[in-house]
Amino acid sequence: MAATKRYQRSDEPIWWSLFSAGGVCVAMLIPALIVLLVFGPWLGLLSAEALSYQRMSALLYHPLGVLFIGAVIILPLFHAMHRIHHGLHDLQWAHSSLAKWLCYGSAVLLSLLALGLWLLGVFV
Amino acid sequence: MSRKPYQPSMPANWWLKHPAYRFYMLREATVLPLLFFIGSLLYGLYCLSQGEASWLGWLNWMQQPWVMALNALALLASLFHAFTFFRLFPQVMPLRLGGRTLPASWMVAGQWLGVLLVFLALWWLLGGYHGSN
Repeated sequence: MAATKRYQRSDEPIWWSLFSAGGVCVAMLIPALIVLLVFGPWLGLLSAEALSYQRMSALLYHPLGVLFIGAVIILPLFHAMHRIHHGLHDLQWAHSSLAKWLCYGSAVLLSLLALGLWLLGVFV
Repeated sequence: MSRKPYQPSMPANWWLKHPAYRFYMLREATVLPLLFFIGSLLYGLYCLSQGEASWLGWLNWMQQPWVMALNALALLASLFHAFTFFRLFPQVMPLRLGGRTLPASWMVAGQWLGVLLVFLALWWLLGGYHGSN
């Protein structure tokens, strides 16, 4: 029997899955969110009361609000940082594993920040 | 191994040399304005956790012309990203219905219909209908 060779497993499937899931969220959710949140009050689509502090904290700090954070902040962050990581390589600006650590590391840290801010609002 | 391996040169501006490469880079660049919008959301999340005065401050900040301009760019970028992303679905995962493959154009149209439905659902959730009454 041939000696088994140890292969270094690539971690790319993890990052690509997060990138792909983020891509779906950016395509499906982000356009609607920008139109409503940025141009909604301006175009008269939303009243001032619709975006009031009471309504928004009730909506966002609902237990399902964390899914919203995941879909519009966390997955799009991994989507963006994946493209930036590969973009830096394509532009030949950075090839090192440090660049990869910085890209995905910042996505992880900002995701933790988003979850922390959400928990802060829910429990404080 | 050959003694003089051929090493192709790859200038850093390779992507400027063909329309397809420029299109690819433009698609990759859609994440730059997206990052600004995500940053706006994180800032809003922080302001909401700090109380009502802080939240009203964020709403005002979002209506500043330069913020609106950058977020308008993020909107265009997300639509361009969606345009390129929706075209991939029929190629990656063709759907078969009743023994025949669903036309790619139907699948792309279905996804744009999804964008519209998401918009209507989010509008309803935020109180677009009730808030104005």
